[in-house]
Amino acid sequence: MSRLRRREAIWFYLFASPWIIGFVVFLLGPMIASIYISLTDWDSFTAPKWVGLDNYTRLLTEDPVFWKALWNTFYYAAVSVPLGLVIGLWLANLLNKGVRFRKLFRTLIYLPTLVPLVATAMIFKMVLAPSGPLNGALGVFGIPGPSWLLEAMWVKPALILLSVWGAGAATVLLLAAMKGIPRELYEAAEVDGAGPVRQFWSITIPQLTPIIFFNLIMGLIGAFQVFSQVYILTKGGPDNASQMMVPLLFNEAFSFYHMGYASAISWLLFAVILVFTLVAFRTARRWVFYETEVK
Amino acid sequence: MATVLSTAAPGQQPPTAAPPGRRPPSTERVVRANRATPFSYATLIIVSAVLCVPLVFVVSIALSSDQTVNANTFTILPREWHWENFTRVFSTDLPMQRFLLNSVIISVGAVIGQMLSSGLVGYAFARLRAPGKNVLFIIVLATMMIPAQITMIPQFILFKELGWVNTFLPLIVPNFFSNAFNVFLVRQFVSRLPSEIDEAAMVDGLGFFGIYRRIMLPMLAPVLIAIGIFTLTATWGDFMGPLIYLNDESKMPLALGVQYITSTSQALQAPPWNLVMVGSILLTLPMILVYYLGQRYLYEMDISGGSAGVK
Repeated sequence: MSRLRRREAIWFYLFASPWIIGFVVFLLGPMIASIYISLTDWDSFTAPKWVGLDNYTRLLTEDPVFWKALWNTFYYAAVSVPLGLVIGLWLANLLNKGVRFRKLFRTLIYLPTLVPLVATAMIFKMVLAPSGPLNGALGVFGIPGPSWLLEAMWVKPALILLSVWGAGAATVLLLAAMKGIPRELYEAAEVDGAGPVRQFWSITIPQLTPIIFFNLIMGLIGAFQVFSQVYILTKGGPDNASQMMVPLLFNEAFSFYHMGYASAISWLLFAVILVFTLVAFRTARRWVFYETEVK
Repeated sequence: MATVLSTAAPGQQPPTAAPPGRRPPSTERVVRANRATPFSYATLIIVSAVLCVPLVFVVSIALSSDQTVNANTFTILPREWHWENFTRVFSTDLPMQRFLLNSVIISVGAVIGQMLSSGLVGYAFARLRAPGKNVLFIIVLATMMIPAQITMIPQFILFKELGWVNTFLPLIVPNFFSNAFNVFLVRQFVSRLPSEIDEAAMVDGLGFFGIYRRIMLPMLAPVLIAIGIFTLTATWGDFMGPLIYLNDESKMPLALGVQYITSTSQALQAPPWNLVMVGSILLTLPMILVYYLGQRYLYEMDISGGSAGVK
């Protein structure tokens, strides 16, 4: 290697050192430690006790709360993410028609996504109160509203409602993507006699699949890690009906100091996310359309 | 796929195109399928209204008196205007100004850290050649997949051993080591800049650090500002981090403090909802302001970063 090349390499490692050090100290080291901790019984004060795979087998075979949390997290992710995307797609399509005041509508729809999650939780605590505005509005139509966050049956729909309030984020992204679809496609379709509905399904949707796919993956990963709203609004209750993976992990770690058990939960969470991402990529070949792809 | 594409081949003139000699159709001219109907207006108005109702309630409650809030008789449009609620939060026993100051310290620290480190690392990955670089970059991408919960417990132990629990350090310091997503953003951004610029600077005798500082840094402004906005948004609203590391009320940032007020008011006494809503407004306004001022940078990153922006 020439002297200049060597100097360049040294500078690379110098410049990249913040990330490399951060990677080793805050990621790789902790990951290895986490594997070890998950194989022990440890309260973080006394010496850890090696228990092998005991934490994992207990989680998977003996802990009904874990399975409930897993199911609730699935439920939450499987409903809230697609629902948010469908609503985002619907609103983006409406905004993409030459509506007047588009910027105003877009701003109003996007506004809720700028509210920090803690404030959103506070707002929904108020909105979803048994005698709060939502039930007040339902009452106008003669529907007796449930006590959303206090009823096992309604607490998950309530949390999904909170997440759908942020559909504006997907709307804005999808709207920007729709603007990028070549007009010629629509014009040609119109010449061929395709109506608005046909154009939406045969042009808009296929052209948007890459960005829908991206949002689906990111959305699912985020939804599996839902924490703040559950912790603030329900603490997992009533009767664990809204207990999810990360709040459960947090409780085990920082309320009960079951560091080993909590670490095992974190690895199972990782496994779940990994499986979902892989499945999504597998199926993507069938429905995601890339213009540049040669088949 | 091929047949669909061929019918839409560019250059084919649809009969609806403007006749030659007239000005070309503006981008606002829409094909029939994309024409707005009264129905689309009605839907948009209803949806926007429904989405904004909670926010109107927040303002109304923030302006209500304690009695109104306790009696649950607030209305969607405020009927009373207790602007003093906005000054009361700073004078009651709630340490709201402390919360606000803590939020500012943590967020500014985090933003400075990410902007300083991500630029350097991203530039290195985009421009400098070194053995092992490609492997490292694959690791950068792979780390984006690992959920933060995996490292949460060992990190907590690490910071506990360092004696950093109940200080701002665990929330600020890791930002000085950049993160995978930001490194990726900067790398993509630098890759699109013409490499003649740094080659010319090298011929003129500038070292690598000189090139970065004098040539690259000014050009990186848009991507660094976008990173600053992402970091600010994430840190300002972060709840879990402060919840894990900060115990004293006087150390809490606003996001934790607002929640703390509602969870600690005495058992039978309802939390002071009007003040909580004032706190929520204080928490939200900076985000709206930052988004408004930084919109064009975010938009730019959105296009170039392959939609990987805006939360």
